Amino acid sequence: MAVASASTASDVQNPSSLGRERDQSLNLDSLKEIGKKALIDALNSVNGAKTLVLDPTLAGPLGLVTEVSLLKHHGVDKMFWLEPGPLSSTTTNIVYLCRPLIKYVKILADQIKRHARESLKHRYTLFLVPRTSTLVSRILEEEGVLGDVTISSYNLQFIPIAEDVVSLEQDNAFKEIWVDGDETVIYNSALALDTLQKLYGPYPRIIGKGDYASRLATLLSRPLPEQPIPGEFNKPVVTAPFDSLIILDRQVDMITPLLTQLTYEGLIDELIGISNSQVELPVSLLTPPSAPNPANPASLPSTSAAAVTPVNNEKMKKHHLTAATDPLFAEFRDLNFSSVGKNLNRVAHRLDEDYKSRHQAKTPAQLRDFVGKLGGLQSEHQALRLHTGISEILVPITRTDIFNKSLEIQQNLLASYEVSKQTSAIEDLIAQGAEMQIVVRLLCLASITAGGIKAKSLESIKRDLLQAYGYNYLPLLLSLSASPLSILLPNPLPVSTAPSVAASKYPFTTLRKSLRLLIDDNPDALDEVENDISFVYSGYAPISVRLIQCIAQKNGVISNPAEKVLTDEADGKGSSKKLYAHPILGWKGFEDVLAAMPGKTFDIMQKGPGGDSSPPSISSLLRSSEQTSTTVVFFLGGCTYTEIAALRWVNRQHKGRKFLIATTGIVSGGSLIESIAGFGKKGPGSKDTSI
Amino acid sequence: MDGTVQHPTATWDAMPDGNVFYRRQQLYSMPGKLPDLGDYVIAGCRNGGPLALMRDTTKLIAVGRATPAFTKAQIQIYSPAGEGLLLFSWDQGKIIRYGWSFDERLVVLNEEGVYRLYDLQGDHQQFSFGAEAAELGIVDARIHENGLVALTGSLTLLEVKGWEGGRPLALAPPGLSEPPHAWAVIPPDQNISRHVEVLLSVDATILAVDNLESVDQRLSRGPFTHVSPSPNGKLLALLTFTGLLWVVSTDFQRSLAEFDTTSVGAHGIVNQVEWCGNDAILVTWDNLALLVGPSGDTLRYLYFGTTFAVTEIDGIRVISQDVCDLIQKVPASSLSVFRPGSFSPSAILFDAWESFSRRSPKADESIRSIRHDLAAAVNECIDAAGREWEPYWQRRLLSAAKFGWGFLDLYNPTDFVAMGQALKVLNAVRFFEIGIPLTYSQYNYASPSQLVTRLTSRNLHLLALRISSFLSLKPDVVLKHWASAKLAKSKSSTEEGDDEVCRLIVDKFQTLGGGDVSYADIAKRAWEVGRAGLATKLLDHETRSSDQVPLLLAMKEDKLALIKAVDSGDTDLVYHVLLHLHKRLPLGSFFRLIEDGGERLASASRLLQVYAREQNREMLRDFYYSDDRRVESAVLSLEEASRMTDPSAVTSAVKAAHKFFSEDKDRTFEAKMTDESTRLLAFQQQLEKEADGKVTFFGLSVSETIRTCLLNGMAKKADRVKADFKVPDKRFWYLKLHALTSMRDFEALDTFARSKRSPIGYEAFVRHLLEKGHSKEASAYVLRCDAPKRVDLYVDCGDWRNAGRECKERGDKARLEQLKKKCPNSLIARELDHMIASMK
Repeated sequence: MAVASASTASDVQNPSSLGRERDQSLNLDSLKEIGKKALIDALNSVNGAKTLVLDPTLAGPLGLVTEVSLLKHHGVDKMFWLEPGPLSSTTTNIVYLCRPLIKYVKILADQIKRHARESLKHRYTLFLVPRTSTLVSRILEEEGVLGDVTISSYNLQFIPIAEDVVSLEQDNAFKEIWVDGDETVIYNSALALDTLQKLYGPYPRIIGKGDYASRLATLLSRPLPEQPIPGEFNKPVVTAPFDSLIILDRQVDMITPLLTQLTYEGLIDELIGISNSQVELPVSLLTPPSAPNPANPASLPSTSAAAVTPVNNEKMKKHHLTAATDPLFAEFRDLNFSSVGKNLNRVAHRLDEDYKSRHQAKTPAQLRDFVGKLGGLQSEHQALRLHTGISEILVPITRTDIFNKSLEIQQNLLASYEVSKQTSAIEDLIAQGAEMQIVVRLLCLASITAGGIKAKSLESIKRDLLQAYGYNYLPLLLSLSASPLSILLPNPLPVSTAPSVAASKYPFTTLRKSLRLLIDDNPDALDEVENDISFVYSGYAPISVRLIQCIAQKNGVISNPAEKVLTDEADGKGSSKKLYAHPILGWKGFEDVLAAMPGKTFDIMQKGPGGDSSPPSISSLLRSSEQTSTTVVFFLGGCTYTEIAALRWVNRQHKGRKFLIATTGIVSGGSLIESIAGFGKKGPGSKDTSI
Repeated sequence: MDGTVQHPTATWDAMPDGNVFYRRQQLYSMPGKLPDLGDYVIAGCRNGGPLALMRDTTKLIAVGRATPAFTKAQIQIYSPAGEGLLLFSWDQGKIIRYGWSFDERLVVLNEEGVYRLYDLQGDHQQFSFGAEAAELGIVDARIHENGLVALTGSLTLLEVKGWEGGRPLALAPPGLSEPPHAWAVIPPDQNISRHVEVLLSVDATILAVDNLESVDQRLSRGPFTHVSPSPNGKLLALLTFTGLLWVVSTDFQRSLAEFDTTSVGAHGIVNQVEWCGNDAILVTWDNLALLVGPSGDTLRYLYFGTTFAVTEIDGIRVISQDVCDLIQKVPASSLSVFRPGSFSPSAILFDAWESFSRRSPKADESIRSIRHDLAAAVNECIDAAGREWEPYWQRRLLSAAKFGWGFLDLYNPTDFVAMGQALKVLNAVRFFEIGIPLTYSQYNYASPSQLVTRLTSRNLHLLALRISSFLSLKPDVVLKHWASAKLAKSKSSTEEGDDEVCRLIVDKFQTLGGGDVSYADIAKRAWEVGRAGLATKLLDHETRSSDQVPLLLAMKEDKLALIKAVDSGDTDLVYHVLLHLHKRLPLGSFFRLIEDGGERLASASRLLQVYAREQNREMLRDFYYSDDRRVESAVLSLEEASRMTDPSAVTSAVKAAHKFFSEDKDRTFEAKMTDESTRLLAFQQQLEKEADGKVTFFGLSVSETIRTCLLNGMAKKADRVKADFKVPDKRFWYLKLHALTSMRDFEALDTFARSKRSPIGYEAFVRHLLEKGHSKEASAYVLRCDAPKRVDLYVDCGDWRNAGRECKERGDKARLEQLKKKCPNSLIARELDHMIASMK
């Protein structure tokens, strides 16, 4: 058995790496290594055994770079969450690891003071992620414990969460920027992008859209403070150098996250919830029923201490969803959910065939062959079980009335079909007791797509909402309608509205036409051919990805390249011959579209260390024919799984360019709304938001 | 020695066993430059650094000496060549100890726990151990290159890491009852644990103390008068009161050598026990220095008067009143080339080259004989060149190397070039006027850039700059120091205009390619010497706004500092400015500064709000109030309400919010809502009272209140809430449907369903009941649904019989057939068959 499981890993890896062309993309492992090394260095700087007190929001991100065993190796005796209340520690050293948030610092100060009262002697070290902060030392000073704490930093920046996605895992980035006006995330993003630049080479060109995106680009084009890269990492071999950095801020496309994601991974996020690539699932799904085959090395123990909420009286366990060890997930994650079932079926049949192949094994050699494959089959079998199980959780929810009604409202709003009827449909959803976030998402969607909701019906629907979910959501409604967010507005705007709100009006109907957002597909074709990026929303193309296509795949905006390939095939030309990606030429050809959208548009040539502002087009032209280049796409304020799926689709349409998706975090409409509601959720009355 | 250069081996001495050679290289001769070292407390800096001398007040001075009597403590600093570098007097409390940091600054610690770092220009930075340590007093200390460990009056140990004024950390309590006989510190970078270790000689044993624990090493030979760790921290030399020198590993696991120092017949007490590199120990008395090798062999070196020895990584420097010597083990490469009778390839190569330069044919023969080892021989000659002090021998060895590589097919000359460069630099700094007797290994250990820094700190800017450009190092360090020195000098001469100095500095920076030089640092310096105008001018040249901010703050250019901080995008910097200003300015003008900033300072204003929301709500209230921000004030009140638990406090907070909203005519909706909210809260309190406090209502939403009423049998109250808050029928019906279902009160549900025509239809009833698993009850409502849907609904309810009947009524035979195919068991199938039959 042991032999079989040992061979499992390689067997699992092979099909996935063959399936996707990973040959020339950037190696992101060094990012992970850097994160790990920095953590070890930080822990080692405190001598002896230590108690680690961890910011709960960091557990997920840390789980992506390290394991508990590594912490134990470096002297961590016990681990606690950084939570209010007393802390008892058996070791002299107490190490706090948290983001520089005021609430954490206060908890920490409180615990130190408590120890002092009980005259317990401890040595306190505080590691702030990603860098130290004047604010923290000031608050410690105000609390009178600054002298007792040694403050240092743990520079955790981009964490690879898939082979082509890196994330800062800052879940609240959107709220902090657009609601609080706290631009710390922007600065941290600039530092993190700068580190990428130091590791993999400079970005020759920075293109983007959005006011805050432009702010980030300006920061990047100026000298940033030196950051030590821990351990002076030997630079990874850069196989595909950067050709540009595209920055989009979330406000450029607020519509996409408001919609219900319809890819497999996106739907899991919508309906079950994925945080830091981990999803909570019933234990029975994760443990193989009979064979003690450790087919899931991915199930991390790191967060096992996290709160376990018993749902349906079954124990839940976190599972790390990753394509690296789960070939089926790699295959399914970006598919429209409607075709997942069919594919599961297909895999099941294939597995069955494979198992049956043992009957054909006549000679001992054939038998040995089969036994060799067995491990792979079993792990695939387990993966199949898992994904069937997940689908079984998802399907009933997708059949509910509320889910389908909300999808219907979304589609109607996107097509601007009977807009006023949609508002009353939203009211019905409130009456039926739909989740708050679903209702608010639809409401914002209605406001953006129609340029505001009729003042009277808006008011009544807001009143309904407050009555149904609690008056403590009033600040949420105010935040949504206030500048700079302005995604919930009456139509026409009252005279007294600030000009900034009026200026941010979104020209949705024009964009729908100029960017070809809605695709009239017959639903049958959708299952078979991924015609366009719109498959991620069953017929609607996310604006953000269309904008990226405006830069990196211009013909994709105007027509379906996939269709063209199909006709080429019919003509008898080379079937698998993909076109080379055209060089990055900025927004050329789409300037008008961009000008109509609110937010700054920018296109900055970076002065490289070698050639100054010499036209990079020649070099990039040359490069594109010889070498693969990487385009970094940075989503300031987070991106959705659907956007990742759509970009991967764009990636597959041509050769010569790879996308590296960088983001402040993975978001969904629900997570955005809930983060803005923030304190409202903690309110006394709303422990249970669903009626 | 005049004229002719003596052979390298002239300085060599063989240990008695004849295999190991040590050499005493005279670095400088300096008759009469130093005072009598016996009268002074001395601290020597490693890597060929200077000596600091202070009168030892415990010793008597002979009357009539030339030295003046000092009333105050004075510290003199001499270069190894005996040149006076600095003299300054000490006006603080009694000096406990002083020593040198890695970057050649003198660390002086007094009994009050105050320590200063003096650079070679006499400028100092002062730090302190804090009030507690001052009270206890510091009785002793050990200073190493990157920190110090102090022994307090209560015999505990405090450690300071680095020289940035870090907080002293207490080490594990050693539990001493009296001061140790002797003690020493192994610096962190030489310890496996990477943390400092203190070795204390207590009674007969040694205590090893670090920040975690104090370990008794259980020795019986003590007490010791000298404890001296080797430069690499691996070995320890201990001298007992009986004069026994004992060498052990620092983990006390291996005893390496023992030697009785009383046997050498020296007079007086032992002055120093210091390591010579990592392999021998120098024990000094007045007039005598004894080198004890690893196997207990000794070499005697005679000196006149008291000496002072400074351990180096590759030897030991011995300074007496008139000479400065370097004693070291002869490096392997030198030994290989010059050892008498050596037949090593490098010796033969050197011999071959000498023959060649004498035009002797023997050269060719020699080269041939070492053909295979030629590359190694060349490398060894290059290395040996680095170990020689005299340029004459350096040149000869390099020439020999060059000669040798001519016979090689391929040779990479990088090492040769690098050595040539290094030697050129080393010879320059060894010159007695500069007086840095740096060896090649020390140069490599401490890095060339450290050498450049050392030169600049001696104000030798030109040499430093030339060396920087010779070694292609960045010139910014030198330029920065130069500019600071320039400012310091010009501080008195005000006639030199600000423009003039600014131009001078900027020109120099630009022409010498110091693009990386921070103008902010120079500007800060200008500000410190009181030239604000110049500082502003220089600051204009700074490109990094983050560097401009601290100085602007210091110059009280508050608004500019804030603007620059905002521009930098670094929120931490903005906080820095905000918190600083908040502390310094009156609240009113602080607010005005931010509000007047308009759009430019908007992000600063928002950051202030983020901070204040968590930490200083009172200030935030004032801030909103002063700016007439009613909506924000209201939201703040609501936020507070959501954090409170006391009902009356919550109500009053919501009321406050209502007041703020109603003051703004554009916020009538919000005002109405907050009003409703207070009404609801009041009603909820009343409900709780009526439910005798058994049910919680307070803080629930309107819908939840209705549901809770229904669940607790207060249907009348639910109707009342519905009426009072104008809850739409649809929502009310759903609520009641859900509530009654969850109570399984199907009778009440039925009454309710019949009470009037359902505004949500009856399909909702069926669906919800089904969802909750009450298919039997659900089926009862199907009849009231739209006719076309009934069959499907019946099927969903599992009510096949009724589904069949429905089909029959509608005459849909095809559907009936379909049902039959899908039906779960034969019983039903038969029944359906029956129906089909009856339809004919």
